[in-house]
Amino acid sequence: MSQATLYSVSFDISSAIAGALGSVLPSGARAVVTSSGVETGFAVLIFGVNILAATMLNTILLIWWERKLLGRFMDRRGAMHVGFAGLLQNFADGFKLFRKDTVKPRDADGLGFYFGPTAYMITSLVIFGVLPISSGWDTGALPLTLLLALAIFSFAPLFIFVSAWSSNNKYSLMGGMRSAAQMIAYEVQLLLAVVAVVIVAGSFDLNTIVYEQQNYWFWGPLVVALIVFVAAMLAEMERIPFDLPEAEAELVEGWNTEYGGMFFAFFMFTDYLRALVGSVLVVLLFLGGWTLPTWVPSAATSFPLAGIFWFMVKTYIVFGLFVWVRASLPRVRTDQLLRVGWNRMIPLGLLSVFLAAVVVTAKCLPVFGCLPSVGT
Amino acid sequence: MSEMWINMGPQHPMTHGLWNLRVRIDGELVVDADPEMGYLHRGIEKISEDRHYNEVVTLMDRTCYVAGLNWEHLYILASEQALHITPPERAEYIRMMCAEFQRIGSHVMWYAAFVADIGLLSPMLYGFRDRDLVLDLFQSFTGARMTYEYMRVGGVRNDLPPGFTDQARKVLDWLMDRFRDYDQLCLGSAIFHKRCDNLGVLKANDCIALGVTGPPLRSAGLKRDLRKDRPYSRYKEVDFDVAVADGADVTGRYLVRLEEMRQSVRILRQVLDWLDHHPGPVMADHLPRWLGAPYAPVGREGYVLKRNYPKGVGFSSIEEPHGEAQAYVVNEGSERPYRVKFRSPVFANLSASRNFLVGYRVADIPPIMGSIDPCIGEVDR
Repeated sequence: MSQATLYSVSFDISSAIAGALGSVLPSGARAVVTSSGVETGFAVLIFGVNILAATMLNTILLIWWERKLLGRFMDRRGAMHVGFAGLLQNFADGFKLFRKDTVKPRDADGLGFYFGPTAYMITSLVIFGVLPISSGWDTGALPLTLLLALAIFSFAPLFIFVSAWSSNNKYSLMGGMRSAAQMIAYEVQLLLAVVAVVIVAGSFDLNTIVYEQQNYWFWGPLVVALIVFVAAMLAEMERIPFDLPEAEAELVEGWNTEYGGMFFAFFMFTDYLRALVGSVLVVLLFLGGWTLPTWVPSAATSFPLAGIFWFMVKTYIVFGLFVWVRASLPRVRTDQLLRVGWNRMIPLGLLSVFLAAVVVTAKCLPVFGCLPSVGT
Repeated sequence: MSEMWINMGPQHPMTHGLWNLRVRIDGELVVDADPEMGYLHRGIEKISEDRHYNEVVTLMDRTCYVAGLNWEHLYILASEQALHITPPERAEYIRMMCAEFQRIGSHVMWYAAFVADIGLLSPMLYGFRDRDLVLDLFQSFTGARMTYEYMRVGGVRNDLPPGFTDQARKVLDWLMDRFRDYDQLCLGSAIFHKRCDNLGVLKANDCIALGVTGPPLRSAGLKRDLRKDRPYSRYKEVDFDVAVADGADVTGRYLVRLEEMRQSVRILRQVLDWLDHHPGPVMADHLPRWLGAPYAPVGREGYVLKRNYPKGVGFSSIEEPHGEAQAYVVNEGSERPYRVKFRSPVFANLSASRNFLVGYRVADIPPIMGSIDPCIGEVDR
């Protein structure tokens, strides 16, 4: 059996649908439907819908996972009543928000008010177009996927600021300011940590980065980079030690104070979407992506879609760690956050780049082994 | 950003109730603050003039909804003085037990609200969980979890159920372990110290000048506790220390409250032992008949003078969980108090908002105001 990829699956579905349609249509229309151009176009559409559906489902599952885990950390059970173990609770919440009205304040700027959350969600969804989740399960041969993903990832402060400013609310404005300051400050550290990985892997292509981790995962030698990356990612995701832009104690709900109904749902959904991106990036850059260490028996990796399975397991574990942090740490203050960012994290990031240079120069490390490009 | 006023309240997560803190900010810096109270004013003092003495107890539960029994205690002490009634010994000990359990309940509730202010989410739920045990105990002898209506002029409504003291001791053991958890979650965290050390400093001199009492005062190093300085009920006969801290900051108030809970446990163990060995009546004999159930609908009868009953005034001051509360009750010989007046400690503490807040940042407002433990029910009354 040849290995299934996202492309092949999309094409199979497309041609199956086209064939089924063609068999019931008159011959003139059949020729159009089954022509290769239509089939390819259709396949691309299915391809996109697949990614979108998988992303949304995973995000909703991630929210469920956080609610359950957080519940356990807090000595309670989390959502229990809608669906098995509360699995459908988030759908219920989503429908509730969908039915509600979004009240625009009278003095708010309509264009920015509606454009902000929409663009925030769309740009975050686009990132998943370039993230591979298993070998063959990606958009294909883009050489700079990591760079593209991070570039799209850093759009967010702009849209947050647009929606915060156009809400015409003091709390929103302060939240937007904090958000912009925080995200821009932590972009640097994030990229420094990424540079360390890129130096070792020698490529911006996420597929290559995962391929380079077949002998050892990068988190071992690049543990400093991992720490910097995770801390910066927490700040970028605005999760609890660094969730000042929406610190509910003082800023009510931060930059999304004025939003209700579906636009509020956009914001919440996108926050988790970005959390998913963060977890996926940690897995791809530091935890070997969909691969398992070589000492794992091959039975664990030989069943169908094993790559996707292990990839998701790792992603959810990483997100579970983020939830753990959220359950046990207080929130820091803006000035403390920025001071830590500039004074501590940037030197650490530079150190991690230096360590990456050492790793790549040595080629083979005593405990971990060699990079695959060296040969064995 | 230029300077601007923002309204934190009356509907705001920071307020812990219904009041409005107006702050003038310059960027993230607080330049001025102006508290506005009165959103929850129910006229309790005026209503009290139209109720029988024992009916006012119902209102006392509504003053501070997390420390209802302390307020009942305060009012009952003043009324008894005004009515020249002495309660039996056992009733006094039961009242002390109520007050100390309520202090623990109130401080645990404060802990839950305070850690949520600085973003610690799980200890908030731990606080609610542990407070439930205290509420269960209250439920077992008052029948209610929040509005107890338990104390009466001349004693308490009913005696404790059998086996109560053993259950209470189990709860105390559990709570002592949990206090250790609380400390580990807060004091063990570097971020907690970053957020709370040297925050909201109000030195002892300023506290006295502004009438600030309770944990904010003791966190400034002043050993002032009415249970020691002006003992009421039977506090003279139990052994405990006054919790103090130095620093006069948010961390200090945290330390004071945690230590106070431990001291409350210490008091409670002695009180429970006493209760085990001294059965007896819980209501005074020879009460005037009209102190029992009301015999005419309120408002129908009007202000009736019982000319044969001696007049008097009563004053009491207790160490409430939030600070020093005082009550003044005037008895003109009627079955209803002629005048009832309360001093709320939180009202004085909140009035000092400007002194607490100016010079700190917007993000510091919730921890500082949270460390005062505002309870708006008793502020507005």
